[in-house]
Amino acid sequence: MPPAAAVELNQLSKSFRVRRARETGVETRVRDLFRRDTQTVVAVDKLSFAIAPGERVAFIGPNGAGKSTTLKMLAGILRPDAGDVRVLGFVPSRQRRQLAFQIGTVFGQRSQLWYQLPPRDTFELLGRVYEIDPGEHRRRIDTLSSVFALGALATTPVRHLSLGERMRCEIVASLLHSPRMLFLDEPTIGLDVSAKAMIRELLWTESERERVTLLLTSHDTGDMERVCSRAIVINHGRLLWDGPISALRRSYLKAKRVTLWSDADRLELTLPGVRVLSSGSYRTELDISLDITPLGQLVDAALRQASIRDMAIEDAPLDDVIRALYATASSASVPS
Amino acid sequence: MIATQLAKYAAFSRIAASQARRERNELYGRMAFFAVILGVFSSLWRAVEEAGMPVAADPKSLVWYLAATEWILLSAPPIHIEIQEAIRRGDVVYRLGHPVSYVVAELAAGLGLLAVRAPFLGLTAFFCAFAFTGWIPPLTALFIVVPFGFAASAVITALYLGIGLLAFWLQDVAPVYWVWQKLMFVLGGLMLPLELYPAFVRRAAVFTPFPSLLAAPASFVLGTNLVTPGALAGRLAFWSGVTACAVSWIFRRAASTVTINGG
Repeated sequence: MPPAAAVELNQLSKSFRVRRARETGVETRVRDLFRRDTQTVVAVDKLSFAIAPGERVAFIGPNGAGKSTTLKMLAGILRPDAGDVRVLGFVPSRQRRQLAFQIGTVFGQRSQLWYQLPPRDTFELLGRVYEIDPGEHRRRIDTLSSVFALGALATTPVRHLSLGERMRCEIVASLLHSPRMLFLDEPTIGLDVSAKAMIRELLWTESERERVTLLLTSHDTGDMERVCSRAIVINHGRLLWDGPISALRRSYLKAKRVTLWSDADRLELTLPGVRVLSSGSYRTELDISLDITPLGQLVDAALRQASIRDMAIEDAPLDDVIRALYATASSASVPS
Repeated sequence: MIATQLAKYAAFSRIAASQARRERNELYGRMAFFAVILGVFSSLWRAVEEAGMPVAADPKSLVWYLAATEWILLSAPPIHIEIQEAIRRGDVVYRLGHPVSYVVAELAAGLGLLAVRAPFLGLTAFFCAFAFTGWIPPLTALFIVVPFGFAASAVITALYLGIGLLAFWLQDVAPVYWVWQKLMFVLGGLMLPLELYPAFVRRAAVFTPFPSLLAAPASFVLGTNLVTPGALAGRLAFWSGVTACAVSWIFRRAASTVTINGG
């Protein structure tokens, strides 16, 4: 029977021992030659969550939050110090090879393609590595090359590819063995706007088409919004927030961005919780904290000064939400 | 099952060989370096002979001896550098995640590189040694040197793999490599047969793999019968086993404490 959850983490923990920063002074340096001071850094701290098959989940956190470490434990590359983890029913640290046939990994800043050779050569190698029937493998390469519009890229040496082109090939390489779960670690890092849009679209399409479960880490909120429906936020290795991305905006930051087009050139709106971002040329843009000042009160104040011709109300950018979440998170963990 | 596993690792050898064929300039550089080394040493031995200084072996044989030892050493691809860089860059994360043995895959890739380099460097050794000496050792000796030399290069490649794995702890394995290389030069008898070294060096060398990897296979061109082919096969098998155990132990230690650079 297939497992109910694609991923299950229960109190997962991982620490690393790192060298303490060197102090200055001859005596310290001499002592350092014989006995090095180390300290334990907790990368993942009793982390628990579950992901259902077919879900697309953004795994978010500031630098050093423990995202990549968690991903590597899920892929069986790192061994947890404590806690339980199951991926597609496998225990990654003990069943790494069996699990490897079921999962794909994409690490944005790393490469699995042989640099001097065309991606097609690496695809052929991976066919052997994943023990795929040669006929099936050729069909799979053709299908994915078509979906990801590789065309001549597949036969161009990797060193001649742009970062965006290479990343498309990396994702194809990770999907060749039809994994049921894909771990993506910053897959759009360093890409230009159009390449990012293409990668996001392709990931979403492929996940829909084959019902691949995605767990994606990224600092780019565009990746999260366009690919994922759920977010898990961690900091200092601990869970901060877990829920739908839409709810992340609504429940965490009680702020809206409001744009007013009025008959007056400028509006003077000095209300508590209202921050005017720009005003002039019959247009006023502001942020309003709804828990301090209701929207109606703002509109009343504006109408007292001029006629309102149009109005736009938007959620605060997700970037602001995440930033606020990180800023308040360091003091205490927020239960999901 | 075994065939599937062998096919996997053969694929690593094939792709590495393809890559080596694309990186021809590095190979051409090695061939040029090899020719220069043989030219310098053949002039040196000639000068020594002409000066009437005592030489423990025929100068022509010594040039062929050097051609054989250098061929073995230069054919072994320095895979420790690529492994070190993969660990430093964090690319190793991909290899560790594949359903293969990381160590065997790296060794298979190294042997693929060796398969491309050895024939080119072998031909360089043959033609240069012949050009500089105007003499060819008995062909039977050369036919013995070739398979043993290739086997020795394979063991050296495995040792490079072990050195590369130390990057999991050291990040930079160059100091280890330098020490290893100097020991190889001296205790392996790279430039001169071990019989020409002081007794204490010869005694120390016996306890290391180096003479079996360089001096012994190359000694067949000297016709000294220092070691029989059967004995050398046994020694190479022994040191292959020791190397395999050591590399496997290093990797198991690394895998249990591995940290991946860059998060």
